[in-house]
Amino acid sequence: MPAIALENFNYAYPNCDKTLDNISLSIAKGSFTVLLGPSGAGKTTLCLAVAGAVPQYFGGSLSGTVLVDGKPAKDTPMSELAQSVGIVLQDYETQLVAMTVEEEAAFGLENLGLSRSQINLRVKEALKKVGLAGFEKREVTALSGGQKQRLVVAGVLAAAPKILVLDEPASALDPEGTTELYQLLGDLNKQYGITILAVEHQLGDVLPHADNFILLENGKNIQTGSPEQVLSYMRKEQHFAEAIPPLYQLKLTLEEKTGISFSSWRCECDAIAEISKCLQKGVYLSA
Amino acid sequence: MLELKNVSFGYKSQLSVLSNVSLRINSGDFLAVIGRNGSGKTTLTRIIMALKKPSKGEVLFDGQNAKKYSAADMARHIGYVFQNPDRQFFRETAAQEVAYGPEQLGYTTAQIADFVKDALSATGLSHLADAYPQALSKGEKQRLAIASALAMQPKLLILDEPTSGQDALEKQRLMKLLVKLNQDGMAILLITHDMDLAAAYPQRAIVMNNGTKAFDGKVSELFSNAHQLSKWGLTEPAALKISRGLISFGVEQTTSANELSHHLIKLLGRTTHADASTAN
Repeated sequence: MPAIALENFNYAYPNCDKTLDNISLSIAKGSFTVLLGPSGAGKTTLCLAVAGAVPQYFGGSLSGTVLVDGKPAKDTPMSELAQSVGIVLQDYETQLVAMTVEEEAAFGLENLGLSRSQINLRVKEALKKVGLAGFEKREVTALSGGQKQRLVVAGVLAAAPKILVLDEPASALDPEGTTELYQLLGDLNKQYGITILAVEHQLGDVLPHADNFILLENGKNIQTGSPEQVLSYMRKEQHFAEAIPPLYQLKLTLEEKTGISFSSWRCECDAIAEISKCLQKGVYLSA
Repeated sequence: MLELKNVSFGYKSQLSVLSNVSLRINSGDFLAVIGRNGSGKTTLTRIIMALKKPSKGEVLFDGQNAKKYSAADMARHIGYVFQNPDRQFFRETAAQEVAYGPEQLGYTTAQIADFVKDALSATGLSHLADAYPQALSKGEKQRLAIASALAMQPKLLILDEPTSGQDALEKQRLMKLLVKLNQDGMAILLITHDMDLAAAYPQRAIVMNNGTKAFDGKVSELFSNAHQLSKWGLTEPAALKISRGLISFGVEQTTSANELSHHLIKLLGRTTHADASTAN
């Protein structure tokens, strides 16, 4: 059973045109999936449909199904879905409800009826994971944008969901914080098998960790596959090609112009290793 | 045009947010301000804008001490585009939104109409003059905020992370617009976390670290020292990291992906040529 499955899913917000148009897709358990596409493609709406907020909170009209951990998202109470899916919203500030950092991280757990000692332990771990250990007593309003964003992630992590949905989780983070956040998500994915679904514009940041890309545009599922497949498609069809990260742009350009085909590049170190191999061979041959 | 002299700033109960920062912004500058979350970037620009007053030190604008200037006075010369522009819109149409600033300065209706027309046209929003600001796309909202600033004919335009949350197309469009404005003589101060942008467009960079100015100089100089970058929480653009890793093959260090690919095509082209000749 996939973690998330959409079948012929159509959705329109009240009094609006269709936002999602006949989407069928399947996200395997344990995958690290990235939703990409231009603004207005329907990425956020898809995330909200997985959390049940579309249509349970927003209303609107729909057809087709969204199954999350086997449960139909529109008919399962959001509070029940929340035990399988943790969601980090794009407008993350609206997710913050408590006064202090530790109260905020504990909020979800308190509503699950865990014991105080269990809550304290999980909150401590979650804050440590996102680099906010030592901030327990700090007031939430005194945090910077990036710190708030990491606090939301901690609150979600503390509830130990099987599926994590994150809508542009690094938009307010500095470069270091972004690398660390995706490293953390990559670890959660690999070590604990947590399924990750993230919306991200900066594809270079997710490339080292993702194994599945979904390209949406105008509410349609344009292309789904491995990052390599989807990026090559974007290049070949010049479809949203501006979003191809510089690292991968370089790979595709070199392959096109020299006829060499490189193995997959996920980080700069892969690129250096692959190009070095070719250049060494060249030096050897011409010598 | 603008100078900060030994500026410090702190909230009452907390440690200082800025300590002893001095810098100069000249007309025609295209300047990136970068650094970790909480390093003082936004506070720095709020002091420039007179939205905050320094606890110590002074701000000079065109040689005059800016102590007596309010944010409204500074807004005649400096445009400010906030991190979340949609929170600053309050009028019914895009054109009215852009007109608000010049209206406060007492221009005639005809002059205001001209300013609005020019500002909307520069930002590619002419066709949306009558649109409801909140109904615009994320990128259009960002450009509307810029148009509102442009209508005031500022000498300096400050943008606080204008590309975060913008898709790749919009990002390119925005940067082209800033380059054009800069070429036409406007000074641009861009706060950004995007190292690829910082490496590609501005000429000068200021790095803030822990409330102090850690670096102020040419962008090319900034990226020539990897050790310093990581100390300040910055990452290297992909092209720089790769070119540095291939230096032993005679690849020149560059932050430009284009330059790097041209160079590598030449080098690899020779290799494949060598391959082919041995095959024969």
